[in-house]
Amino acid sequence: MSEYDDEDMDYSDQDDYEDYYNADRDVMSPPHNPDAEYFPVQCLSVDEVEKFLNELVEQLCTSIHVTPSMSKVLLYENKWAVQDVLWKYNEDADKLFVASRMKTLQPVSVKTKRDKFVCPVCVGPVAEELGITNLACGHCYCDNCWRCHFENKIKQGVSTELSCMALNCELLVPEEIVLSTVNKPNLRKKYQHFAFREYIKSHPLLRFCPGANCTAVIKSKESLAKKAICTQCETSFCFKCGNDYHAPTDCATIKKWITKCADDSETSNYIAANTKDCPKCNIFIEKNGGCNHMQCLSCKFDFCWMCMGDWKAHGTEYYDCSKYRENPQNGSESAKAREALKKYLHYYERWENHSKSLQLEKQTLDKIKERINSKVMTSKGTWIDWQYLLDSATLLAKCRYTLQYTYPYAYYMDNGPKKELFEYQQAKLEAEIENLSWKIERAETTDRGDLENQMDIAEKRRATMLQDFFHI
Amino acid sequence: MSVLPRRILKETQRLMQEPVPGISAKPDEGNARYFHVKVTGPEDSPFEGGLFKLELFLPEDYPMSAPKVRFITKIYHPNIDRLGRICLDILKDKWSPALQIRTVLLSIQALLSAPNPDDPLANDVAELWKVNEIEAIRNAKEWTRMYASEN
Repeated sequence: MSEYDDEDMDYSDQDDYEDYYNADRDVMSPPHNPDAEYFPVQCLSVDEVEKFLNELVEQLCTSIHVTPSMSKVLLYENKWAVQDVLWKYNEDADKLFVASRMKTLQPVSVKTKRDKFVCPVCVGPVAEELGITNLACGHCYCDNCWRCHFENKIKQGVSTELSCMALNCELLVPEEIVLSTVNKPNLRKKYQHFAFREYIKSHPLLRFCPGANCTAVIKSKESLAKKAICTQCETSFCFKCGNDYHAPTDCATIKKWITKCADDSETSNYIAANTKDCPKCNIFIEKNGGCNHMQCLSCKFDFCWMCMGDWKAHGTEYYDCSKYRENPQNGSESAKAREALKKYLHYYERWENHSKSLQLEKQTLDKIKERINSKVMTSKGTWIDWQYLLDSATLLAKCRYTLQYTYPYAYYMDNGPKKELFEYQQAKLEAEIENLSWKIERAETTDRGDLENQMDIAEKRRATMLQDFFHI
Repeated sequence: MSVLPRRILKETQRLMQEPVPGISAKPDEGNARYFHVKVTGPEDSPFEGGLFKLELFLPEDYPMSAPKVRFITKIYHPNIDRLGRICLDILKDKWSPALQIRTVLLSIQALLSAPNPDDPLANDVAELWKVNEIEAIRNAKEWTRMYASEN
């Protein structure tokens, strides 16, 4: 990460790649200020990826004497790290081949006498025109049985993981054997298609664009949890996990969070919206009608649904209860569950709110465009004068996005000074975002400086939230 | 019905000529791919003394695909559910065309000797097997007596 070492300096010059954004700002900032979020990726077509992978295969073939098909297995099993494979090869070639499922520790003796051979699968004498084939493990079957086995597996979607027919033998079948055996054109095509997908999945620096119906493959220099943008369909995503970009939360945490939200949110929202705890035993109670005099089914405690106080204390003030009291909690199990739920909902609501605001982003942009139009029409500044408003709206969206993803991170943080600091910074960012939003709403040509100042502050606050994430 | 593959013929012949001890498998008169199977409960297992009926069917692409096997006799076992379906790796992802009807039936017999409650199919049975093995074994013996006795 040495190239990012000096990034704790000025963050104002963030968007190297959005030239229009930089053009009129920060002329004074250093010219080569690396943006921690900037992540160079290449968007490749299927042909280009094929070429790229084939180059790696050839590179390995020329360095050690293996067939291209063997080279593919080696690279597939070793995450396409050519240098790594070469190093292991020089260290102990046999060990590498066994670990890569290209050899077995104790190959069975190879049967070569074809005339006496009885294939253990079809138990028939092998027809004249058919051959017998053994793999590196020594397991030998007739070509017809191999073909049936391959076809059966390809139909199930197996490609790179296609292994020997023998019981518990995990030896991988090299591509050339599969392709020389299977002759149905549609199955050959299927096999090659599946294998290609598996190669890309196994390569840490390649990833299919997650955009709907997009066939592009994204290539990067490092496998990092940074924002990749597909130049074909403009989908942006985290390069490492393929989910939506999620800084400052890491890949494992965001996955946990998204699963949790998918599992819990509906139920917990319902519980939070429709139930209260019994003030005595803390069980969840849903009121489905009747008066405010409640009796807990579980502990038989009589209480008032409005103030949650003991019913006896009410006397005659039946429906005129205006006392407000915090729900007294004790350490019981359900109270703990309630507390956990409250905590979750606190973070979830904020996460959801920002996500909803972001969904309105397009509407906001349209509104701003409309406003610029009307301003220009009434001769309040020129079209160019107003472009900064669009920039500020883009920045606002960016800040909101980061803010949204600070909530799952904070939710999983341990209590302590680190969390306090993080939430303090989070609150600051939230405040600056609100200021920015307010200023954008009321912008006039006269206070452009003020707005740009606010943009700068908000962006700095945003960068602070990301600092830890990019320094890990 | 297509011609019966040589492999199935050979296997059937061998099953009839050299039956595996404790296991009998006879092809149905009307369908040579459907077998009536009887397995005796292994010694020193809760199923000892029982005779269990199973059905075995060889699908069209056998031996590329595993045979389909099911218990017909009710049995109290953590890896066999109420419908008689069996949770056994070689019948699923670990199937190899090199396996045969006889090896499959031997594996099923072995499963009766060594139930595996950590990979359950019948959840309630597996649960009891884990928390109270003595009671589970008592149930298994009781079921064997009730549903699988030879008379």
